[in-house]
Amino acid sequence: MINSIFLQFLTGIQLGAIYVLISLGLALIFGTLGVVNFAHGAMFMVAAYLGVVISQAEWGGWGMAIVLVPIILFVLGLAMERGLIRFFYTRPHTDQILVTFGLAIVLQEALKWGFGANNLPFATPDWGSGIMRLHDYLPFLEGFVAYPKWRLILTAVSLITVAGLFALLQFTTFGLVVRAGMRDSEMLRLLGINISQRFAIVFALGVSIAGIAGVWGGPVTQVDPGIGMVFLVPSFLVVVIGGMGSLPGAVLASFIIGLAISFSATIPALANIIVYLIAILILLFRPRGLMGQKGVME
Amino acid sequence: MSDQAYFSVSDLHAYYGESYIVQGISFEIKEGEILALLGRNGAGKTTALSAIARMQDPQVHKGTITLDGQDLTGMKPFEAARAGVQLVPEDRRIIPGITVEENLIISQISEPIGWDLDRIYDHFPKLRERRSQEGVTLSGGEQQMLAVARALARGIKLLLLDEPYEGLAPTIVKEIEGIVREIKEMGITTIIVEQNAVAALKLSDKAIIMESGEIVYAGTAQEVLDNKELREQYLAI
Repeated sequence: MINSIFLQFLTGIQLGAIYVLISLGLALIFGTLGVVNFAHGAMFMVAAYLGVVISQAEWGGWGMAIVLVPIILFVLGLAMERGLIRFFYTRPHTDQILVTFGLAIVLQEALKWGFGANNLPFATPDWGSGIMRLHDYLPFLEGFVAYPKWRLILTAVSLITVAGLFALLQFTTFGLVVRAGMRDSEMLRLLGINISQRFAIVFALGVSIAGIAGVWGGPVTQVDPGIGMVFLVPSFLVVVIGGMGSLPGAVLASFIIGLAISFSATIPALANIIVYLIAILILLFRPRGLMGQKGVME
Repeated sequence: MSDQAYFSVSDLHAYYGESYIVQGISFEIKEGEILALLGRNGAGKTTALSAIARMQDPQVHKGTITLDGQDLTGMKPFEAARAGVQLVPEDRRIIPGITVEENLIISQISEPIGWDLDRIYDHFPKLRERRSQEGVTLSGGEQQMLAVARALARGIKLLLLDEPYEGLAPTIVKEIEGIVREIKEMGITTIIVEQNAVAALKLSDKAIIMESGEIVYAGTAQEVLDNKELREQYLAI
């Protein structure tokens, strides 16, 4: 009994870890730029494909994929913000949704055209393959309990990324400007700060985190042209449940959703609707989401 | 102080979307002077200040704004701030979610920089006391102090004060008045918009009265104080 509960808990946390990586960027971009980026799932998908290609290339390898993918995604994010998104800042959210959704479909079809519609195999590296014998470390477990090593690594990477992002926002001048800009970007401009420039970097940073999600998460999800959309909807719900634009809210909601999906998995009828059920319940009692602030999206 | 105009606005027309608010105003200020910009609610005073600060809204369709030989007209708000314009907005706009000190630090990120933190805290001991408190949790008067301090933390050539006394208790108004007087003594060129016209006029050298987006009177502050008819007609005091 304790074993299965613990494993479900672990699976929930690991699922939450992927949601965190995707929804953090989504929340960051919404919170700073006010842009609803429906192409964010597609960024995750592109990163997963890049991960497959680079990790399996003769010139590449896993080490290179881990380093290169987030960098490529950062550059892609910058290009996307400068070339497309910035023209939509003052447009209604529906326009932003349409253009980013359109971009997502273009990317999805492009990958389908290039790689086919089927799932690409994405093997974990040797150092991350196999299982961890959890009962060796956790005495409260009964008998033999193992868990895939890669999933634990993924969870750790996610937590490190979250900690890194929070440290960047909390303890650096850049972070101070971004946090302040999330609350009143116009006042920052009046104080001489070229906030648009910093926001372009923030957008790229958000996309880059989706890159981390794609390359580390790819081996446990699937790598096919539909994967972006599969993660987009729950990640977007995570942001709404957490409170539009709230990063701690997104983290909290990710793990709530991950755990809820994992623990409801034994009842298939429930598993399919649990995310929406939670969203409805939370928004019923807290219309701004768990940690949403007054004035955002109102 | 030279006799030449340090700051000038010439034939300025500003719009909020389709609404035509500032309808061709022109005026000049010499270096170190304080100008009171007066008029009833809706006369276009705040719009004029926002246009001078080069805020995205209102849009300036026509006219030029010049400060110390620099043309501000085509500038973005952050560029105007770097050129030395500093607006203290009507609602103070203390940034939520960050401390008093962070509100000050953030105004010193881009050049030109004015007073350092020590000088600000020596001048506003209350802000030192509350430096690690969230800025928006301060009282109204303290927030106004922080808003002015935040402006002084920048290198200013032109200070724009929008309703600095609004919503403050009379004793606090006295305190803020003292601060504005000190700003005057420092020789910072200032435009002050204020409903409390008498208080503003006492501090000012010049006065402009706006009505429906146009200037209906321009003269010295003393002239407006002395002319009861003028005050009754346009300022209802």
